[in-house]
Amino acid sequence: MSTNYTYDYIIKYIIIGDTGVGKSCLLLQFTDRRFQPAHDLTIGVEFGARFVDVEGKKIKLQIWDTAGQESFRSITRSYYRGAAGALLVYDITRRETFDHLLIWLEDARQHSNSNTTIMLIGNKSDLESKRAVSYAEGEAFAQQHGLFFMETSAKTADNVEESFVDTAKDIYEKIKQGVFDVSNESNGIKVGGHLQPKTLPLNTDNGNNCC
Amino acid sequence: MKLSDSTVSRLDETQRLRFERCLNKFKDVLQSANIDLDALRNLNWLGIPNELPSELRSITWQLLLEYLPCNADRQVKTLARKRQEYFEGVSQAYARGIAGLDQTIWHQIHIDVPRTNPGTILYQCETTQQCLERVLYVWAIRHPASGYVQGINDLVTPFFQVFLSFYIENYDTSCLPKNVLDVIEADSFWCLSKLLDGIQDNYTFAQPGIQRQINKLKDLINRINAPLAAHLQKEGVEYLQFAFRWMNCLLMREMSLKHTIRMWDTYLAERSDGFSVFHLYVCVAFLDKWSDELKTRDFQGIMMFLQSLPTAKWKEQDIELLLSEAYRLKSLYHEAPNHLSRV
Repeated sequence: MSTNYTYDYIIKYIIIGDTGVGKSCLLLQFTDRRFQPAHDLTIGVEFGARFVDVEGKKIKLQIWDTAGQESFRSITRSYYRGAAGALLVYDITRRETFDHLLIWLEDARQHSNSNTTIMLIGNKSDLESKRAVSYAEGEAFAQQHGLFFMETSAKTADNVEESFVDTAKDIYEKIKQGVFDVSNESNGIKVGGHLQPKTLPLNTDNGNNCC
Repeated sequence: MKLSDSTVSRLDETQRLRFERCLNKFKDVLQSANIDLDALRNLNWLGIPNELPSELRSITWQLLLEYLPCNADRQVKTLARKRQEYFEGVSQAYARGIAGLDQTIWHQIHIDVPRTNPGTILYQCETTQQCLERVLYVWAIRHPASGYVQGINDLVTPFFQVFLSFYIENYDTSCLPKNVLDVIEADSFWCLSKLLDGIQDNYTFAQPGIQRQINKLKDLINRINAPLAAHLQKEGVEYLQFAFRWMNCLLMREMSLKHTIRMWDTYLAERSDGFSVFHLYVCVAFLDKWSDELKTRDFQGIMMFLQSLPTAKWKEQDIELLLSEAYRLKSLYHEAPNHLSRV
């Protein structure tokens, strides 16, 4: 396990949304490329990490997966501030998880950095026959609130990679534009550098670069 | 109560004598008309060997939780009354079927129960799941200050499992007659209630009990293992990030159910603060145990390691070492706020 593997940037993410929408399954699919149908329920927060490649830069994503239950809200709120990316997840088969998005969004806006990139995710897209929220509704909500949007399936892995990577691309774009103060780690971004990453071969996305 | 034939056939003569002696000590205490709880605590602290009849643990746990009265004359009556009270509570709550339940609470419990011990047949069986669902629902509506908090679903399982093993060995609940299953369910409800009474502020708004426990854990690690404390700080690891779950689920996510049951023998013998104060010292001993490993890792390595600790290989001996280390630490540091710091 090479946790010291060199990187250009570390970017911190947070995954939020109602209980049972598949947050932990998305994370597991992204970090381990597998699906666990009866995932243990998350207590407080759990941590995961993986490298992605954006424009030839090695970016290490460090991801906090939060418990969805209301009772844990005061604990999980403390993780917003240090996140540069937020994945806000609902379940396309459960209308109420979509109806709660505004509450989540307000919470995120209030407690996170104003530059945080938010990706709205309608998960469980494999359960088309049980769909209760249309693609258009999800897309409209995202547009209205200035969020990125994707429908994913943690089960089939559809769009899982893309949702994490596209969020990273947007954040990297902001880094290049100088939107983030990268000297302050509490903004959710840490710059590598002393390790001369360019002299090392780029290990692109092939499943063996899990950190 | 005696050692089962199948157990005896697996033991050699010395072992058989040892377990018989142990069983007799329990019997001496339990057969008294007015049971001496302190004597029972002393025996229970050291754990109930799995070779002893499984009903022994059911009885001692219920006594130590003060669910089963010490006075032999009152036992049958009290149990009958409490069980009846629970059944009436269930009938009332479910009087208008599922639609009549508080939908938010019910839905949460309903999606959590199948995610409780997902790898174990006993907990994937529908009969079991329905029992747990009712226990958790009735508990939640009777405790509006906390309601149902995720993790409580884990805490009911040791009771369910121990009380069930009184009746069957193979854990297929669908083959049990309804009245037997009802009794197991009612007893699990009351014992869970007793346990949670002692740690209720772990689950009320903002979980102040857990926050306090985590602060104490940090403080104690500073005192007993300063190099580890310094390393965690240097790497930016916060105790809340890993120890929240330790407190919320009483380390059940870190241990097998079998080992949790062994730990609870001791917790229950620690009087009323076993699941709070003693548990804190178990967490201190537990974190300290991984010190060498943790000190070689960076932030990410520490988090990943603490999230999936190598306890799957643990034997009962490891649990006993952990418990005795916790005992030692508690005797040294509990109610000795500062004068021992930096020893």
